[in-house]
Amino acid sequence: MTPAEETYYLPADRLADLTDAWPGGLRVMAEHAPETLPFAIRDCFDQSLRRSQRLLIETGGEVTLLTVGRAALHQKATPEARFVAGFLGGPVKAALADVSVLRALLVITSGQARLGRLSLIDSEGKTRVRAVLRRLEPTCGTPVVLITPQALRGYDRAYDELVSLIRGAGGVPLDGGNLYRMIDPQCLDYIAKPVIEVGRQETAFDVASDLIGAYIGVARANERGIIDDQDTEFLHDYRIALRKVRSVLSLFRDVFAPEQTAELKARFSALMEPTGALRDLDVYLLEQEDFYGLVPASLHDGLDRMFTHIRGERENAQARLANHLATGRYDKEITALDKLFTRRRKLTAGLNASRASYDFARELIWKRYRKICRIASAITDTTPDAEVHDLRIQCKKLRYLMEFFGPAFPKKDFEMILKPLKKLQDSLGLFNDYGIQQANLRAFIDRLDGEPRKLEIAQSVGALIAVLHQRQIAERAKITAAFAGFDSVRTQRTFRALFHDGEEF
Amino acid sequence: MQIIACYSNKGGVGKTATAVNLAYAIAASGKRTLLCDLDPQGASGFYFRVSPSKKLTESRFFEDVERFTKAIRGSDYDNLDILPANMSFRDFDVFLSRMKNGQSRLKKALRAVKGDYDVILLDCPPNISMLSESVFRTADAVVVPVIPTTLSQRTFDQLVAFFRDQELPAKRIHAFFSMVQGAKSLHGETLAQMREDHPKRFLAAHIPFASEIERMGVMRAPVLASAPNSAAGKAYMALFAELAVRIGMDR
Repeated sequence: MTPAEETYYLPADRLADLTDAWPGGLRVMAEHAPETLPFAIRDCFDQSLRRSQRLLIETGGEVTLLTVGRAALHQKATPEARFVAGFLGGPVKAALADVSVLRALLVITSGQARLGRLSLIDSEGKTRVRAVLRRLEPTCGTPVVLITPQALRGYDRAYDELVSLIRGAGGVPLDGGNLYRMIDPQCLDYIAKPVIEVGRQETAFDVASDLIGAYIGVARANERGIIDDQDTEFLHDYRIALRKVRSVLSLFRDVFAPEQTAELKARFSALMEPTGALRDLDVYLLEQEDFYGLVPASLHDGLDRMFTHIRGERENAQARLANHLATGRYDKEITALDKLFTRRRKLTAGLNASRASYDFARELIWKRYRKICRIASAITDTTPDAEVHDLRIQCKKLRYLMEFFGPAFPKKDFEMILKPLKKLQDSLGLFNDYGIQQANLRAFIDRLDGEPRKLEIAQSVGALIAVLHQRQIAERAKITAAFAGFDSVRTQRTFRALFHDGEEF
Repeated sequence: MQIIACYSNKGGVGKTATAVNLAYAIAASGKRTLLCDLDPQGASGFYFRVSPSKKLTESRFFEDVERFTKAIRGSDYDNLDILPANMSFRDFDVFLSRMKNGQSRLKKALRAVKGDYDVILLDCPPNISMLSESVFRTADAVVVPVIPTTLSQRTFDQLVAFFRDQELPAKRIHAFFSMVQGAKSLHGETLAQMREDHPKRFLAAHIPFASEIERMGVMRAPVLASAPNSAAGKAYMALFAELAVRIGMDR
């Protein structure tokens, strides 16, 4: 059998190790094209392509997708396309169908590439195996060579010789390391949800500080992408990171001194405050297509006008936020907060600071769980929206607590109780979204003074509000069922065993 | 899948050179091609620098599908594989029928190793008595190089007679003039005479007597790879183009 195509990478200066060798008595010959072509390696900010063992590379007018264990795919490049959706139809686009529609493909590195070929030749002058060479000379960073051996039928041994030669020269298979880091050791390995080690005996103070420090890092990693407006996920992740910091401050009661906790809460709120307007507008625009599906075609003109307005508003909001994030004042504040949680000398311990994280977590989670059960069991079709809203907030807090302390508990049990919790949260989330959308749309109409086509827009928006209202009512009916799923005997037992062993419910 | 046999009942007429260059041209046109080296004297494998496979000289070879697929070697050129065997012809009819039959173990085995070919080109040995008539029956085309001399004229007539006696369709014969020397008046006369005798059997393209073809043994590469713009290279391309149209390979 012909082995599956696999690509290896190695520092370009190690290529000589390959060409000087005589593997199995075969002569190694490398040829390079006389001309160079511009190249760019592209990936999402979260490096979802690299993490899924793929490499997307544009060379000249062509884009190539290398996937571990599969043959390379090629198609015409569209360097101006920022999202996969903007690619021309072709095999590469089809193979990238799983990439998030929200994430832009950023240029990880770019420069000049030289294509070439490496052949292993026997004493008869017959090629027994060859490899495609892509020598990448980044504008800044370490030059590397990508080698993709190509087996010739009937010469499996020569193929194996070549592979061991490549590995011997320091070649790493695409899935065996981080090519981006080889090119640029500073290349950020962004993870939106970092896993923070939580030792059971670690103090609550240390766990809280670790979590906050890590999430400040996540927020900071997204600043550049927000300023450059690369995609909407940067702001989304930034806000979630800050929200998590705030929930650590409020959920880890008395871990820091009360005055300092209050002060920190206020400072993180202030960081979050300027980001709300842009996120709301982003959400509108992301839902644009869905909105068109909700109202009859006769009302689409009104929606067109509405979205034109919203795009204008978004542009202003983006510019405002970008300016804000680029100010020295912002930088000074977030740097100070970062330093506070990295150095920790100026953090003042609260009453719970030295408690063991495991006991502390069990107490917090158990309390939150009891509270949720209390609220949820009282919810009927006539319960005021405010109470449903409260249930959503409590669930979110429980979820964050479980996420923060997850590493200290058995994974399997955690997953078992997380599943119905997620379902309940989904239902609560939709209910809440429909409510917020209605309120926002009403507020939008109020802002339209002076717009000559206000009536036309208002008609469309009115229809939209009516549909959203119906959906909200329908979702409300599902919440009770979702809670029943969460409130199963098995989940109850697991919660009790994990967080309240031996005590009465 | 099409099977093309390169055949001549007379030696030294440039048959192997034709098989090698045709195989190269067919593969270069994008068709997945397997060249089977069946002629121990011609050794088309030699021109592709592929060593003959010793294992395949054993008689019950075609029963052993796995050994057959293992013996295939990738050439240095895209889409072109070589079976460098010195085969016995006992099982040759079995081989051909299996190549044609999509359900046979051989075809399935080839498919499994992604060796399902569009065109199989046979470089046949020059002895008609040894070669089973099933080659003529199964092949879609029998390509016959003919040197325009009186002797070649007689052997070609014999081949046509053989086809007639065996009730084989003569239209499968695609003859062309090989090693043509323009300066020789005898060549010119024979050429005209034979075209007249067999108006539908001869292709318009012919291959000149050329040093590039002689030098194939030194270069160990098809003329189309080493000297594509030479007169011989262009002639092989013209031969391929005309044959492709005649046997519907271009469809």
